Amino acid sequence: MVKRTLLRRRWLPDLLTALGLLIAPYILPFAGFVPDTMNRILVFGLFGIGFDLLFGYTGLLSFGQSAFFGTGGFFAAYLLTRAGLSSVVLGLAIGTVVAAITGYLIGFIALRRTGIYFAMITVAIAEVFFFVENSPLAAFTGGENGLPGVPSPTFYLGFTTIHITSGWSMYGFIAVCYLIGMVIARQIVRSPVGHILIAIRDNPQRAAAVGHDVQKYKHLVFVIAAAYAGLAGGLLGVLQGYMPPEAFTFDTSGQLVMQAVIGGLGTLFGPLVGATVWLYLRDFLQGPLALGASWKLALGVIFVLLVCFLRRGIIGALKDLWALTVTRGAAEAQPAEASAAETAAAMAAPLPPSSHALTGSSGPILQVKGVTKRYGGLVANGDIDFTVQHGELRAVIGPNGAGKSTFFKLLTCEVAPTSGTIIFEGRDITGMSVTDVCQLGLTKSYQVNQLFSNLTVRENLTIAALAEARGRFRVDVLRNVDTMPGVSEQVMHTAALVNLTHRLDIPVSALAYGEKRRLEIGLALATSPSLLLLDEPLAGMSPSERVETVKLLKSIRQGRTLVIIEHDMDAIFEMAERITVLHEGRVLVEGTPAEIQGNKMVQEAYLGGVLE
Amino acid sequence: MFNGLVLGALLALISSGLTIIYGTLGVLNLAHGAMFMIGGYAGYVAYQLSGSFLVAIAAGAIFMMFVGIVMERLIIRHFYSRPHEDQILVTFGLGIVYVETIRFFFGSLSKSVPAPSWATGITNLGFMIYPTYRLAVIGIVAIALLVLYLLLYRTKLGMIVRAGIEDAVMVGSLGINVYRVFMIVFGIGAMAAGFAGIVNVPVAPITPDIGEAILVEAFVVVVIGGVGSFPGAVLGGLIAGEILSITAMFDPSLSQAMLFAVMTLVLMLRPHGLLGSQGRS
Amino acid sequence: MTVFDKPRTRRAFLQAGSVLAGGALLPSGLILPAFAAEHPALGTYPAGSSGDSVFVGISVPRTGTYAASGEDLIKGYVLAIEHLNAGHDLMHKISPNLKKGVLGKTVKYGIADSQAKPNTAVQALSKFISENKAVMMTGSVSSAEAVANNKLAQREKVIYLPGISGSNDTTGKDCVRYSFRECFYAETAAKAIAPVLIKNIGKNKKIAFLTPDYTYGHTVRQSMEEHLKAGGWTVATNQVSPLGTTDFSSYLLNVANSGADVVININFGRDAVLSIKQAKDFGIIGKMTLVVPYNTPFLAKEVGADIMAGVFAATDYWWTLEEKFPLAKMFNDAFRGKYKSNPEWGANAAYMQVAMWADAVERAKTFYPPEVIKAYEAGYKVQSTVGEVWFRGADHQLVRPVIVTRGKKPADMKGPDDYYDVVDVVPGEGLMQAPDAFGCKLGDYT
Repeated sequence: MVKRTLLRRRWLPDLLTALGLLIAPYILPFAGFVPDTMNRILVFGLFGIGFDLLFGYTGLLSFGQSAFFGTGGFFAAYLLTRAGLSSVVLGLAIGTVVAAITGYLIGFIALRRTGIYFAMITVAIAEVFFFVENSPLAAFTGGENGLPGVPSPTFYLGFTTIHITSGWSMYGFIAVCYLIGMVIARQIVRSPVGHILIAIRDNPQRAAAVGHDVQKYKHLVFVIAAAYAGLAGGLLGVLQGYMPPEAFTFDTSGQLVMQAVIGGLGTLFGPLVGATVWLYLRDFLQGPLALGASWKLALGVIFVLLVCFLRRGIIGALKDLWALTVTRGAAEAQPAEASAAETAAAMAAPLPPSSHALTGSSGPILQVKGVTKRYGGLVANGDIDFTVQHGELRAVIGPNGAGKSTFFKLLTCEVAPTSGTIIFEGRDITGMSVTDVCQLGLTKSYQVNQLFSNLTVRENLTIAALAEARGRFRVDVLRNVDTMPGVSEQVMHTAALVNLTHRLDIPVSALAYGEKRRLEIGLALATSPSLLLLDEPLAGMSPSERVETVKLLKSIRQGRTLVIIEHDMDAIFEMAERITVLHEGRVLVEGTPAEIQGNKMVQEAYLGGVLE
Repeated sequence: MFNGLVLGALLALISSGLTIIYGTLGVLNLAHGAMFMIGGYAGYVAYQLSGSFLVAIAAGAIFMMFVGIVMERLIIRHFYSRPHEDQILVTFGLGIVYVETIRFFFGSLSKSVPAPSWATGITNLGFMIYPTYRLAVIGIVAIALLVLYLLLYRTKLGMIVRAGIEDAVMVGSLGINVYRVFMIVFGIGAMAAGFAGIVNVPVAPITPDIGEAILVEAFVVVVIGGVGSFPGAVLGGLIAGEILSITAMFDPSLSQAMLFAVMTLVLMLRPHGLLGSQGRS
Repeated sequence: MTVFDKPRTRRAFLQAGSVLAGGALLPSGLILPAFAAEHPALGTYPAGSSGDSVFVGISVPRTGTYAASGEDLIKGYVLAIEHLNAGHDLMHKISPNLKKGVLGKTVKYGIADSQAKPNTAVQALSKFISENKAVMMTGSVSSAEAVANNKLAQREKVIYLPGISGSNDTTGKDCVRYSFRECFYAETAAKAIAPVLIKNIGKNKKIAFLTPDYTYGHTVRQSMEEHLKAGGWTVATNQVSPLGTTDFSSYLLNVANSGADVVININFGRDAVLSIKQAKDFGIIGKMTLVVPYNTPFLAKEVGADIMAGVFAATDYWWTLEEKFPLAKMFNDAFRGKYKSNPEWGANAAYMQVAMWADAVERAKTFYPPEVIKAYEAGYKVQSTVGEVWFRGADHQLVRPVIVTRGKKPADMKGPDDYYDVVDVVPGEGLMQAPDAFGCKLGDYT
């Protein structure tokens, strides 16, 4: 039963896509679509699939996709016209690969920046590509005239030969390309990689902190988007028998972005819908409405209105509409309480074997020697020595501004120390990345929640669990997250630990504050750390939440080493075995709770802190 | 070298409007090129009616400020809380609307305003001869930039604006009516674009499409100088002007490509531009 | 894409059709199948010409920097189609075969904005072919558009007629069987204007070129350089600027310092306007003689008569030719009657393209494209607004005179539009290169 639903959910969209592409030629012409327009829509739809993976899923807004569109297109067109390559499919494939390689190389430059700067670099690179195509490489690309005479594909099937010409046979060819592109993209989205891409869009810092190599995944999706662009560019040339130079212009990138947003981001189908609206409108305004030269004015106005009123694009609006009608029917069907059976099952589930589970060894798990961190003239941490034994529960306390959080950042390698060494499980981790350190089994829960706030609890935990299951980077796009061994067990187990089993499919934004705090700890736990740092886990909680969380912390210390920063002294003295007191960036004293409680210096430090 | 200075001066003025708006409001205004163009047309109309260049300049600047304020109140305001891409798209769409509206009323043939009589002709600088109006442009732009500087660095409004660039939330919590400040800032940014637009008309006759190429260059300037930084825009403008003019001496076909290459290089070496702060990214 | 149904509205047309189907016009129903059977189906034939109207697809820039020239072309096309449908006297003068319509069929048309981009142009024309079954397509303001449309025409087997296209390649290495160019181009422009320049300015002059960096620009420069060698002219500097340059100061400073006597400005459209205006600012005009070997429509209107005074330019048509050619007078009168302004050369080219196409179809007595092409290729001499012209069969280029003009001083102008003196009308025959000199290989008929 469950399996069948799963199957249906998995393949239904693909089948519907195929069906849609199949019946479109029988329906759309009645609405005034001609094959040529539909072919162009598909080309831009395909181009947009890659862009949606890049922007809609990963959050990387590139205004330079034309560089890859043009590169793939011109490479294929050049091979098929001047170089005399006869196989169109081979030409397209080579164009796609070349575009992907170009994307790989450009990624090294562009991906070093984020946000608006990333967007600007991509614009700049695309413009440089255009100028290079137009002038220095004009001998190969035909300059402003482009490359005419791109042949159409021919398929030899043994018993018959299919000549693709313009019109409907070309539609068939491009529709098949689109379908393949869509199936691949949907598989990528379902794969662990797809989940991590979404995590990167949502919170890149945390994605890195739970052990995913964010930079490599960004690079991967950049290459994938470039490949889609390259294929679409090649198809444009084949479609009209002519590779136009404006494939390289900013206009092309701009149109792509607009179509994707109008259609709806993060849907894969959005660009297709956007392209349909865009191309249909331009025909409609010039044709039936006969607006003459004012057609573009009308298009601009419509576009502004669409952006103003459709926040999530056309597909987003349709989804909202659908949700509205559906929830009216089955209002509040959400189970309010977790089924007891589910919780029990999760608790009973054996803890999956962890790559860095405690091996029962004793001795120090963490040794910090003479670590200093300076910010300009300010010494945040000075000459700290700090050792934690396997299985210990250590607390780090100190007045505000004592440098506790900076100290944690040094330990998790979020910042590099100015001097000193940090040794974790016998390995010098000084200067490593936060991702590597997490993969080694050292991670942290944050003082201020760092969750993937647009995702559900289950998705949050899955992302963390995937890091543990797959390592820092892996291109396993053919796997499905649902069927990965150990991952869902790990998610269920962690959820049970932090008591969120009944909230698994709730979006983070709908959680109560205490639940968010527990999920914060859960994210760290799901990576199966051998050493877990907790930065003020009780911060901002109500007394009853505190009690519950202290219970949680006690339970998770089984088989783990914990270091906790906390201001709640009652909780600390209740839990900790040893306490380190930081003051003005230095270790003031270290000892058992009893020793610390009676220490004069500690009292002075705290009093002094208060008086200041 | 000298010629780059003139080129750069205008770019600096246009870019400063762009950068103030982005810095304060966080809105990347893709309609800025079109606003530059409208300023030119407003000035052209005023010149046709009055025959005075000064009136034309005032009209270009003031009309554009008015358009900017209306645009901010009606549309941009609703986009502050929306994602960057929505802001980019809506301003892009507005840019199209502006360009095509102007085309609708004025047609596609270029329009021109002659340089004022005191700035016509050619000046012999000793080492080269140079159009007098272009020399005047340096002065006009310098004065405009000075006024902007005084406005931003010597007035209370400017203080709020600059604080807003650093931390808009903080300014809001200080009980200052952020929306009004935003509206004024958008108006000032638009005015700078309109002013640059009309000042440029005697140099290059206007057509509805003139803003397009300038917008791209202005972005490069902003990024080189540091997004949101007023001094950065001025420095970036001058650098871009020099790049364009010097490359053109050797191989003009590469001048644009060179501009973008330099921008990429700057971003690699200084992630926030030459004079940019860490504030926004 | 504006679809005008002229002279009747679509509904009226449908009503008329249903009345006719009632039996009034049976003979035509009988003739049609026989007519169609005469030739195999090819391109939009016979679908596009089986009704009592035929469709012409027009694609020109209406937005973007070439929009002004695009609108001028549209005026010419619309006027020509109106004249065809009305059986106007001017059409009859150009092609005595013409009566009302073309082969008795009403001509309808659609206009699409190409934005001067080849890709958009091809897209628009493809739609005219598949949706409207266009029997002829026309329009371009840049050679990039024209070349792309050429290839589309050859592939789809639908006749295409460029509007404005100055590159040698359009009827040179990128020529196709299905395309015919009316207007002058780099080679004929250069060859026509060079002797005039040598005669008026003198021998052994030094040239500064302002060349836009694309095929058209480079071919014009080459042709000019070559033909000016006869007068001992040498190149002092060649300033190549990217398409769409808005500030020419760097190039103009180099020109000013080059010691040249003559500036030959090859820029087209907005680039031409800006470069000339700025050349004036830099004091180059006045010191050096400006030459525009390939004139942009409306150039004088945009830069002003004072700047254009004394400037030599080669062009395709200028309205004051009406003093010399009666057909030009007829054309101008009709144009002024409809649009209240004088035509520019784009409008004339557009008008003549449509008229000569109608003529070829009439002579072929069919819309079957190969027959129409053969009628074109027969080299039949047609009376035009610039005298007798004919298409050269080997490269599909119209053999037509090039007009050399010189800008008038504002004081000498007899009206607001009287910008130029026509210095010479150079007969086309002597201007053209050998048909295969630019690598033209026309493709197949079918």
